[in-house]
Amino acid sequence: MDITAQEFWQGLINGLALGWIYVLMALGLTLIFGIMRIMQFAHGEIYMLGAYAVYYLTVSLKLPLFLGTCLGMLFIGMLGLILERSLFRPLKEDWLSAVVAAVGLTLILQSGAIAMFGLHHRNLPVLAEGPFNIMGSIFVPKDRIVAVAVAVFLSLVLYLFLKATKYGQAMVASAQNPDGAILQGIGPNKMAALSMGIGCALAAAGGVLAGSMFQMGPYMGLLSLVKGLLIIVIGGLGSLPGAILAGMSLGIIDGLFPILFGHAWASLSPLFFVIVVLVIKPQGIFGHE
Amino acid sequence: MNRAGMVKVLVCTGAIVLAIAAPLVLSSTYWTSVFTSIVINALLVASLRTILTIGEFSLGHVGFMCLGAYTSALLTMKAGLPFGVTLPLAGLLAGLVAFALGYPFMRVKGIYFAILTLVTSESIRLLAFNWRSLTGGIDGLIGFPGAGVLSIPGLGQLDFDGFTEYYYLTLAVVCASLFILYRLEKSKLGFTWLAIREADKMAGAVGVNVLRYKVIAFSIASFFAGIGGGLFAHFERALGPHATASFGVMTTIYLLIYMVVGGKARFVGPIMGAVVLSLVYEFARPVEEYQPMIIGVIAIMTVMIIPEGLIGIPEKVKRWRPKLLN
Repeated sequence: MDITAQEFWQGLINGLALGWIYVLMALGLTLIFGIMRIMQFAHGEIYMLGAYAVYYLTVSLKLPLFLGTCLGMLFIGMLGLILERSLFRPLKEDWLSAVVAAVGLTLILQSGAIAMFGLHHRNLPVLAEGPFNIMGSIFVPKDRIVAVAVAVFLSLVLYLFLKATKYGQAMVASAQNPDGAILQGIGPNKMAALSMGIGCALAAAGGVLAGSMFQMGPYMGLLSLVKGLLIIVIGGLGSLPGAILAGMSLGIIDGLFPILFGHAWASLSPLFFVIVVLVIKPQGIFGHE
Repeated sequence: MNRAGMVKVLVCTGAIVLAIAAPLVLSSTYWTSVFTSIVINALLVASLRTILTIGEFSLGHVGFMCLGAYTSALLTMKAGLPFGVTLPLAGLLAGLVAFALGYPFMRVKGIYFAILTLVTSESIRLLAFNWRSLTGGIDGLIGFPGAGVLSIPGLGQLDFDGFTEYYYLTLAVVCASLFILYRLEKSKLGFTWLAIREADKMAGAVGVNVLRYKVIAFSIASFFAGIGGGLFAHFERALGPHATASFGVMTTIYLLIYMVVGGKARFVGPIMGAVVLSLVYEFARPVEEYQPMIIGVIAIMTVMIIPEGLIGIPEKVKRWRPKLLN
């Protein structure tokens, strides 16, 4: 299929922006799964709520987007703390019950969002106006570049937090060996709460980026959730570089494959991708036992 | 036959009699179609539980249902085959795809397997939606024939085109499938699955080919999901964007909730969950926007209060009654 250089770059940069949104989802999911051993199925709904919270903060209360996003992340992070305490902590013994609780939460939040916000699609204010010039004659929208920059920045902050601070190291320890961490005086509940708070805040940021570049609606969460979960499998659990690599690959598949090979093949390619990875390395690209 | 066996047979007969009598008593097309979808859901959750017997859980059952639905619809429409042939073929294709996917997927366990099945079902749904030349894309497949006239040995030619007639056909197919699934679980194969769930390394050490038995369980479950899909397709008579939505993540969520709310430990649990929750969903129709919320609240309350599910209630009552009486 013939495509112009302009279309190619447009698809690539769209894919990268999408991919980084998926990475933000996946980082939260892998943090929560690593420490709480829970598949947070409602993470997509948290992402959706993040977008709506920021929508009301910026469009109704007329706050600037930056401030609104920070406040939104804070609110959604606190929501995460509440959810961890009231819903997931009592269920941490039985993982299937926890999944069902998360799934029930998905239904509640989704139908609540439909009842409160309505089904129609909305848009957040754009991140940046106008095109951005790469390589002379090719232009891509500037907001995609800003979105990637924001996501890279947040991932970097998370990385530094996990590597260089006392709490971050405690979280890593708790994920690697919960019993050992308890012996060192690291409370598992505290770490679970922290991971849920940070994970939800990251999801909210992802939701804001998606709501600003694309559209937001009550069902926006499920697709990103599936992609976020897939990234964990491909990249390997608990691996930040794995998540980033897998996220960008999936984003580029989503951005480029439909224009290169048509929609039908594009919808099967993530599946083929994960099968190839599994056959070669079942633990994921950067995973370990 | 011992007492427990008698009770089981009585309950089964009672349930079947009730299911046969329901459309005759209510005699409304609406309720008949509701019952048809409940019966199909019962087959889907019961086969979903088959995967649970090897200790894995699937979030992609609906993908195999989608495969079955499109297979049966396309075969009747494009190849002109009768429903009696396309339905087993629908199951067969779903089972074969599961068999092929099973080998790479069963290399991982638990949550990872669940994620992979979820991705599979989403990919299949998107493929069905995007493969315009075959599935009609956004316009969908319209106007494929219903079940039509089938010749049944011993009964002669029967016409299953009407709503009520199709309900009985669905009921018969589902009852037969449930019986097969139940017998499989109590057979040597079923006990091997159980052994794998309880101690897969041990089972491997005594010479059980763990991977193969896992893949067999996955394929059988998906076969019946395909059958469910075929039944669903000829019940809806059209597979468009509306139907592709019912092959989406939401249906996966509902199936999972039916299974766990009903009680995953016993064969009858998921079926009970499907029936009870579908009825709750139906009775909540006046407050349409809040239907999913009601199901979600029930799911969360169930796992918080009675994690064993509905089938755990008699046990709970038995344990609490003496305390209350004293």
